[in-house]
Parts: sequence; structure tokens; C-alpha cells
Amino acid sequence: MKEVISTVKEVVRIADNVYSLTVALPEPVGEVRGGQFLNISTGDNSRLLKRPFGIVRAEGCDVTVCFQVKGEGTQALANARKGDELSVLLPLGNGFILPESAKNIVVIGGGVGIFPLVPVISGNKDKKFYSYIGFRNRGCACLLDEFGKSQKLTIVTDDGSMGEKDNAVNAYLKDRENVKADMIIACGPPVMLRALKAQLKEKGITTPCLVSLEERMGCGIGACLVCVCAKSDGSRARVCKDGPVFNIDEVEL
Amino acid sequence: MANLGVKICGVNFKNPVIAASGTYGFGREFDEIYDISAIGGISTKGMTNLPRVGNPVPRIAEAHGVILNAVGLQNPGVEHFIKEDLPFLKEKGVAIIANVAGSTLEDYGKICARLDGLVDMIELNISCPNVRAGGMALGIKPENIEEVTALSKENLKKTPLIVKLSPNVESIPTNAKAAEKGGADCISLVNTFTGMVIDLEKRRPIIANNTGGVSGAGIKPIALRMVYEASHAVKIPVIGMGGIMTGKDALEFMMAGAKAVQVGTANFADVNAMPRIIREMDEWLTSHGIADVNDIIDTLKLN
Repeated sequence: MKEVISTVKEVVRIADNVYSLTVALPEPVGEVRGGQFLNISTGDNSRLLKRPFGIVRAEGCDVTVCFQVKGEGTQALANARKGDELSVLLPLGNGFILPESAKNIVVIGGGVGIFPLVPVISGNKDKKFYSYIGFRNRGCACLLDEFGKSQKLTIVTDDGSMGEKDNAVNAYLKDRENVKADMIIACGPPVMLRALKAQLKEKGITTPCLVSLEERMGCGIGACLVCVCAKSDGSRARVCKDGPVFNIDEVEL
Repeated sequence: MANLGVKICGVNFKNPVIAASGTYGFGREFDEIYDISAIGGISTKGMTNLPRVGNPVPRIAEAHGVILNAVGLQNPGVEHFIKEDLPFLKEKGVAIIANVAGSTLEDYGKICARLDGLVDMIELNISCPNVRAGGMALGIKPENIEEVTALSKENLKKTPLIVKLSPNVESIPTNAKAAEKGGADCISLVNTFTGMVIDLEKRRPIIANNTGGVSGAGIKPIALRMVYEASHAVKIPVIGMGGIMTGKDALEFMMAGAKAVQVGTANFADVNAMPRIIREMDEWLTSHGIADVNDIIDTLKLN
């Protein structure tokens, strides 16, 4: 984990209100596990908090994150220009730790929750991925080339403007007889993760399932106890440090 | 290099920069980034006798120059601290200030008695604005401040007592004097200002608790005024805090009368904030030919 001053290389609009930001670090990024994230300043000292984004790509000195514009901070990042200097703290969190024995992985992603799943696919070439990705509509779809590296890719949308009119969890459930999954990994809005947890329970699916959670964060390193989630045993876990990836059974969604 | 060492209530701090409670945990996470033995001291995450799970999320929001938090004293309890975190901090050689809170007067007495002699100083959190059962009520009225201070002091035979004042009050000088009268050895201020940030589209406050404590660069002028007022109202030493982001900010608080400072929100904006602030203080003092940071304390000249 380190904090460095990065330089903006490019900002690209990749879907409605969604941007891809690539920055160059002064040194090689080092090893990053899929599902880990970074904390990046917005470039304006009046915003004291860095923004946490899942790392989409890390190669050499370059790191790419993708994000949806939600407020002034993300708008400032969308407006960043080549050469702007932004402070970055990385890599943070645990990421998706996939056991050696898990060879066939089901990937369930919804909306802007798909981003942390991308490097899991690109970084584990010895495994086969079966991806079920949902967007609100065609305009929200992005990074399809990345998910195209999967053994099988199913895209659905809420309005049917791309793929079937369905959600990602249902898309997997309909297809699950055709996929012998050793593990499920998922990231998406809370409503999607809750539905996934309920469906796995209802259908008696015992395949291990890892989910990546999102929460408003303070320090990003586990010190301030701002971004907690409730664990099934009633205790609290830190999303930034103990997560953001948890076994779906161990957290309340 | 200027001397940065300060002594407060007999406790030596290698420099006057102390981590503010709640922003630094028990130091372990920051120690993964830099050796925390570089900082003067650490005021721990606020502790209670029994573990607490804290408030619902979201617990944090942002506005220009400030953040708001409402963590609600999530902590593992004092026994966990004594067993798991205290040995680590002792090994690090930083001055250890145990920040403690309670829901009742009796809670304060009990936790002080438990920690007496185990840590360098104890800081009473009587101003945490997020716990409905206690915090706020005890820290507002001077008679309550005096009472909780006196009860805590009765339970402390060895460890000096700091009372951390809330800024959400009628008179800082009156409350500072109340703490002094109750037997406080030292005062720290300011805790956070109660505030609110609204999500216009959702017509709801962003923080689940609705209100949160405002901290960060934007509160510095108000905090400086209050630290000046407090340090001139009492004879006991004052530790200043509120929006310190740079070494120059820290020196301003000391110039206004603080013997040391605490740094909180800056740790979020810059994980290396504390070592940087210590370096910047030294650079300023050296460039101004001042050999000892103690020579800057209470040197403010009013117009």
C-alpha cells in the first residue's frame, strides 16, 4: 500500500454518465488482485476525501478506474485533463481471492458494479469465466470487450434494449444447469446482491459465493470505522480493510 | 533542526503532533504506511467499558473544506484495548492517550479506574455529539462538565486527565474553567461541530444518523478562536485541534496558546499528513531562526 502523486493520462466517456480514468504512477503499480481498489483525490483541496474506485486495469505504471458521475467529486474527476496531478492511495482491500481448485467461475455483475470484476477475468487466464452482466439499458453498457474474454457472456438489460429484458441474477439462474460452477463472484447494487443471496438460499445452491460491497469511506485503510457492514454474527466488518470482498453468507445485505 | 519536544502534565512528547481520536484507530493501519513512532502521540479511538457496534451507515459525508462523521463510538471495548492494542502502542514509543466515553457518569469512573496507570494520559470524550444516551448532555453545561471531570479524577491516582471540550456550547471559557475546577489536568478542543449535509434529490440527509460532526480545514478559524479563548481562561495546559492540515496550521494553534495539537481529518486527505506536518513545523521554525517549538507557544500578539 502506498500513496503517490499520479498524472492523468486520459479520461474517456464509456457509457451514459460513466467514465474511464487512466493515471500514470511515478513507479510501477506492482501486484494488484482483481477486486482491490484505490483511493484517488479529486484534484481540489476543498474536497478532503479521496474517492474509492475498483481497479479495472493495472499495467506497468498505469492504472485505470471506471466510475459513474454521482456528485461534484466524480464530476471533477470526469473533467480531469491530461497532465493533472492526483494523489492516489493503492492497492486497498482484499480483492477476490480465488482458490486454485476453483476452475469454473460464474461472474454476476450489475451496472457500475461490474468494474471490480474485470481484472478478475483478465488476471486469471487459467480459469474459465461464465459472465452474466446486467445494465439498465443499452446506453449504460460498457467494457463488453473485457467481459467478452469470458468462456460465455450473457448480457441483459432492464428494458430489453440490449440482450434479453432481465436481470443478471435471473440470467444466471436460468442458465445454471449448463454451467458447473466451482465459485460465484458478484458485484452490483445492493438490491442485486440481496436478490442473489435470497435466490441461492431458496434454490439450495451451495456453490461458494463472493460479493464485493460498496460503502461511503473515510480513510480507506481500516482506521476510521466509517465504512462498516453488518456481519451475520452481529459484529461489524470494515468494507475497506476486511473487504470489500466477503463471502455472501458472512454479511447482511 | 529545531527542538520539537514538549512536556504536558509530566508526559514527554517527542513532538507536539498527536493523532486525534477516531481518525487513527489504535495506530496499526497507519503503521503499515509509516513508522508511527515518528508522531508525538496518539489519542485512541474512543473507548467504552463494553464493545459498541456504532451507528448505521452511511457514517460520513463531505462539504466544501469539511467532512461530517457519525460513527457512534464503534469500539471493541476497553478490555480488548488493554489486551490487544496497548502492548503494540507501548512498543512503538508514542505517548498513549486513551480516549474514553460513557453513557452514564458511572461509566466514566469505571473506565478511568481500569486504565489508571496503564496509559500516559486519559482524554474524556464528553462531547461526542452522536450518542443519544450520554455524550452531548454531559459536555454542554458547565456543572455537568465539572461533575464528570471530578468523578473521573477521583478514579485516577496516577494518570493525568484531559477533558475534551465540545464546541457546540454557549461559552468555551466557562466550560474550560468548569473542567479545571473539576480537577482536569489538561483540556483539549475542539471536538466536532454538529452539522448536516442533504441529498437534494432524495430529500434526505446523507448520514444515516441525520446529523454528524463537522471537521476539517473549514473549521480552523472557529477552532483557533476557541483554543485561544480556552487557553487564556485556564492555567492548565491546552491541546488544540480543528482543521489542522499543515505545519503552519499547527504552529498557529500553538501560537494561540496550545501546548500541543491533534491532527484528525488531515489523515484522510493525506495518509502521510502527520509526518509531513512535523517536517513542515521544523522547516518553518528553522527558517525563522527559532530553535525550540516551546518558544512559539502563546506568542500571539493581538491587534
